[in-house]
Amino acid sequence: MNAHESLEFAQTQVARASLDHCVKCTICETHCPVSAVTPKFTGPKFVGPQAERFRHGESVDHSLDYCSSCGACTLACPQGVNIAELNSQARAVMKADHMPLRDQLVSQTTLMGMAMTPVAPLANAALQVKPLRTVIEKVLGLHRDAPMPKANTQTITGWLKKRKKPVKAATRGPVVFFHGCAGGYFEVETSKKSIEVLEYLGYEVLVPKQGCCGLAQQSNGLFDGATDKVLKLCDELRSAGRDLTIISSSGSCTGMLKHEAHEIMGVDDSRLKDVGTRIRDIMEFLLELDEAGELPTDFAEIPLTAVYHAPCQLKSQGMGQPALEILKLIPGVEAVESEATCCGIAGTYGLKKEKYDIAQAVGRPLFDKIKRVNPEFAMCDTETCRWQIRKGSGAQVEHPIFLVHQAYGLS
Amino acid sequence: MTRVVVIGAGVAGLVAAIRLADGGARVALLNKGTGGLQLGQGTIDILGYSPDRVERPLEALQAFAQANPRHPYATLDAECVRAGTGYLQELLGPALLVGDPDVNLQLPTAAGAIRPTALVPPSMAAGGCVSGANFVIVGLRQLKDFYPELVAGNLARTDLPGGGRLSARAAMLDFPAREGEVDSNALTYARALDDPAYRRRFARAVKALVGEGETVGLPAVLGLDDHDAWTDIADQIGAPVFEIPLPPPSVPGLRLNRALTARAKTSGVRMVPGSKVTGFRASGGSVNSVQLAVAGGPRDFVADAFLLATGGFESGALHADSYHNVHESVFDLPLRIPQGHLVHGDYWGDPQPLFTLGVETEPSMLVRHPDGDAVYDNLYAAGGILAGATRWQEKSGEGIALASAVRAADSILATAASVATSQGAAS
Repeated sequence: MNAHESLEFAQTQVARASLDHCVKCTICETHCPVSAVTPKFTGPKFVGPQAERFRHGESVDHSLDYCSSCGACTLACPQGVNIAELNSQARAVMKADHMPLRDQLVSQTTLMGMAMTPVAPLANAALQVKPLRTVIEKVLGLHRDAPMPKANTQTITGWLKKRKKPVKAATRGPVVFFHGCAGGYFEVETSKKSIEVLEYLGYEVLVPKQGCCGLAQQSNGLFDGATDKVLKLCDELRSAGRDLTIISSSGSCTGMLKHEAHEIMGVDDSRLKDVGTRIRDIMEFLLELDEAGELPTDFAEIPLTAVYHAPCQLKSQGMGQPALEILKLIPGVEAVESEATCCGIAGTYGLKKEKYDIAQAVGRPLFDKIKRVNPEFAMCDTETCRWQIRKGSGAQVEHPIFLVHQAYGLS
Repeated sequence: MTRVVVIGAGVAGLVAAIRLADGGARVALLNKGTGGLQLGQGTIDILGYSPDRVERPLEALQAFAQANPRHPYATLDAECVRAGTGYLQELLGPALLVGDPDVNLQLPTAAGAIRPTALVPPSMAAGGCVSGANFVIVGLRQLKDFYPELVAGNLARTDLPGGGRLSARAAMLDFPAREGEVDSNALTYARALDDPAYRRRFARAVKALVGEGETVGLPAVLGLDDHDAWTDIADQIGAPVFEIPLPPPSVPGLRLNRALTARAKTSGVRMVPGSKVTGFRASGGSVNSVQLAVAGGPRDFVADAFLLATGGFESGALHADSYHNVHESVFDLPLRIPQGHLVHGDYWGDPQPLFTLGVETEPSMLVRHPDGDAVYDNLYAAGGILAGATRWQEKSGEGIALASAVRAADSILATAASVATSQGAAS
């Protein structure tokens, strides 16, 4: 299936096969974080399986655009209706002929990293300048207070080139590491610590040159570009070696490869299937090792109570919250589950001028909980969520691998 | 440590998972979608009709089981039901559940019928339909699914189960849950009523409609996370208040579901929601693992014991094709299938035989072949998947679920303890 065909797929096939499984039980409605805070979004059942019956190419209900694609509805549905997927597809079709420039730009995550890294201090400073942000809001529709990533002076590729190679010989064979664009340019520390933990466990960590998974484009309805990106990424990850486990510290991008590219955009390609079945979220990978009795658990004590928030796009992978199980193994750590469905940002949703207030309202219970439990430190597996939660709570928010790294004595 | 996989997160799955984890097992709870608690009324039925209206459910249980020897209550006796409901009351506490398993309350429905049930949220307790009761039923103009004229009209013209009549009148309040929304659901109101300021305005508006000596019946939207919201409202109105359950989303059901889910997490249960169990491996008469179809492919969940708490037809645990061939969807277990036609044409007639279909168990809740031996030596079942009951007609669903969940959990823990003892003796 080529890129054009995926939009075609969305237009004609959608997730309609699951449509008639809807029994209108309202369970999805009770899980929606957006309709909980605004009447602008009428809820996943209305906009999804109900409105879908009235769609004939064109959408009858424009509140669809307020769906953040967090996937909580699909996860909660006992009848197997692909509600979030239906909505994402219908939105892509709805926006196809008048895609805002803003949505096309904001989804170019790799480009942003490439542009900002060489001029990191300057870029970081510029994004703090209020008048400049006001202009950006006026011209582009990106909210002036929306969280922005902090550019790094060093990329993960730069670090890998310069660092001392591990002295310990690999005893467990090679694995492939997928860092995602944010893990390559902005959240470089997470990638470094993930690689170091895997090497400590005895793996040889292969990091092929890699681009973006296309998730931001997909969630903005830009299926053509997203399909090209995800397949290119599959080629890159596959180039590191056949049948190797691929491990990622980028919670949401992993979901794009595991199921979203296929289920939302209809990408039906053996390369995607190969990568999608080999990839593991890093905490999922550690839990699998633990279940098999192969994870050293001689962790040093870390006296810490902190909120852990599993991103919506991690939960939608249907594997529970592996990080919670791993954090239980570290003496002294009490990870308090956030209980929040979503932090509000949902990729690029919360950056947008018209959705910023909704995204903040969605995230507020989470921010408040962090302020109550531990206002200094919290954990979350996806980069954009960390930016949102840092801004909303004021806490330092890091990937849970930070604690594993520390508990193994690596930091 | 014994490992247990529980499949299904309705009341049976949740309660069993908590009991197992508190009993020292390492528990994973797998569920495809949210369980059925929030689709129910948030009350605990034990036995409502046998087939006549039941006033003392536990007393009625023995005769009911004798008349229905294939019914789950034939092995789950009154003491077992008492243990199950008692355990739930212990887990939830009086802020969420009150009542006496020996006595049924007769509570109004959103259609103005009178429904027998045993344990109820305290916010419903004042709604008992007894002779001489004096109700004003208050509706909200912006809330669909609740029509006070229907409720009050039907209640007032009904000869009460205990004899006599009650008086009921209807009143309507124009009171949006949030600005700009003309059509809100129960949950939106419940969230709004968690806010003390909104609650104050709401109570003031309701108070203006209440006459001397009246008890106020309101749709079940009186707070979601704040379990004292309803008492606050009653205090501010200055009259007794009760909630009437609505069609889904059921706020009282959500409260129970949230409380039990949170309790399961506190007990250390690993929750894995959103994926379907699509296969299993078995050897030597035991189930070794189930396969969960997570994003990116199936993953094995290995355990020492497995508890099937997936429900019935409504959740997809049982599936009937167009020839009325019925299958259990996880393990393809042998089922007790009634003789003759599974569905008869008389809609208002006898219970449909189809719905008594399910798995049969030994008293330990180990799944067995109908009238035969255990299918596997470590596969148990609880709740709606059990054969022999027509739960909604009898109003027996939660009683069966709780009794079987507690018994299954205790059987699994007892087996684990005896294995540990024999291993200890051998070493």
